[in-house]
Amino acid sequence: MLESGGFESRQRMLVADPVVEASEAGARTLGVTYWQAVDRLTRGAVRASWTGDGGKLKLLGGATLLTFGRPELSFDGELVSCRHAIQGGLLALRAGGSVTLAQRPEGDQQELSVTVEGYLPRLAARVGAPPWTGMLYARGQSPVHAAVSFRYFELLLRSRDS
Amino acid sequence: MNVTVFGATGVVGRALVPLLAEHELTAVSRTARAEPGARWVVADAASGDGLAAALEGADVVYYLVHSLGARDFEEQDRAAAETVAREAANAGVRQIVYLGGLGADDPDASPHLRSRRETGERLASVGVPVTTLRAAMIVGKGSAAFETILGLVKRLPVMVTPSWVSTPTQPIALDDVARYLAGVCGNEAAYGEGYDTGGPEVMTYREMIERIAALLGRKPAIVEVPVLTPYLSSLWLNLVTPVSASVARPLVEGLRNPTIAREERIRKLLPLDLTPFDEAARRALA
Repeated sequence: MLESGGFESRQRMLVADPVVEASEAGARTLGVTYWQAVDRLTRGAVRASWTGDGGKLKLLGGATLLTFGRPELSFDGELVSCRHAIQGGLLALRAGGSVTLAQRPEGDQQELSVTVEGYLPRLAARVGAPPWTGMLYARGQSPVHAAVSFRYFELLLRSRDS
Repeated sequence: MNVTVFGATGVVGRALVPLLAEHELTAVSRTARAEPGARWVVADAASGDGLAAALEGADVVYYLVHSLGARDFEEQDRAAAETVAREAANAGVRQIVYLGGLGADDPDASPHLRSRRETGERLASVGVPVTTLRAAMIVGKGSAAFETILGLVKRLPVMVTPSWVSTPTQPIALDDVARYLAGVCGNEAAYGEGYDTGGPEVMTYREMIERIAALLGRKPAIVEVPVLTPYLSSLWLNLVTPVSASVARPLVEGLRNPTIAREERIRKLLPLDLTPFDEAARRALA
């Protein structure tokens, strides 16, 4: 947790070879696979819904948990990434922060990562507040996020190997 | 070059045949035809009848057939692909070109998409180099998926849709698919390769519905519901669109899988100017 109240988290995995191509299609694949992981992990209870303006993460097709801007695709040399700015939703205290899915070289391997930066979770303890006030985030949302990241890595690798 | 096209009377086959005019063309259909531009041969990929005549002297074979709509379409498609591949090997064919489905490599692919992948694998099982192009929805007149969406847009002012409308897809114009298919004909760089062929735009099915509706001067209300099974959806589509339930169901099951290009190698091999979605839809509606 940052002094600003924002949260940062990063999950990563090292693999021998690139999983996606360094191209717009490859960057888009990172994003699409991440939202697919959310869908699969929650058995369709939480799904991303996209329009030309951006996306919404919806619970059972109703409550909007998070809203995102349009995917920002980047492929610069061997760095491939898809960034989604967080714009609001029930799980965000206010707009701000982002989720970035990336693939970059790490030595002679490739690093796959999920990075959340500057996110202000509504369920987390506020700065200076007792830790128990953030139990819902610490015991609920945060482990689910980590599980989604794990599933995302798994889906990426399975799609490459299939 | 001698080229044989299986599925020459289908939506993609009809668009492809004129682009192969520079070759000695054999067009295969299950019933007798006599149209200009090709030598027409009656053959059946499923039973094997007439295959030897269809493949005699062929250098390149296009495999554009499927059994979608049959109860056991997966088994039929596998068997037909094996039969054609074997006969092609016997005839000394140098390349088989196959149109598969984007998203078919997804480990959780629907039966329809899985069948498209398995068909490609069976075609490649006897040693003739296969060039696989993978496409999502083909935007063109007669395309089952496009006609399904069009049927919904034309008939329903209010749509209650399952959550698949939020799945991303990368539809491609019929003309562009045909040009890609023609472009790999006899192209040795493409032997044994697979390419994702997406259109220039990624969108959700919801956006696609809205854009087709706008072209038709309509503005349907779309209500997304989390529970609507592929079975119920297919029955509903059978009622309100020209597409039968037996075809709609495997298509709807496949809509759960994102169908986007995961790589762009085809654009280096064949750098075409791709048709924007609205233009492709306009042509299909004309």
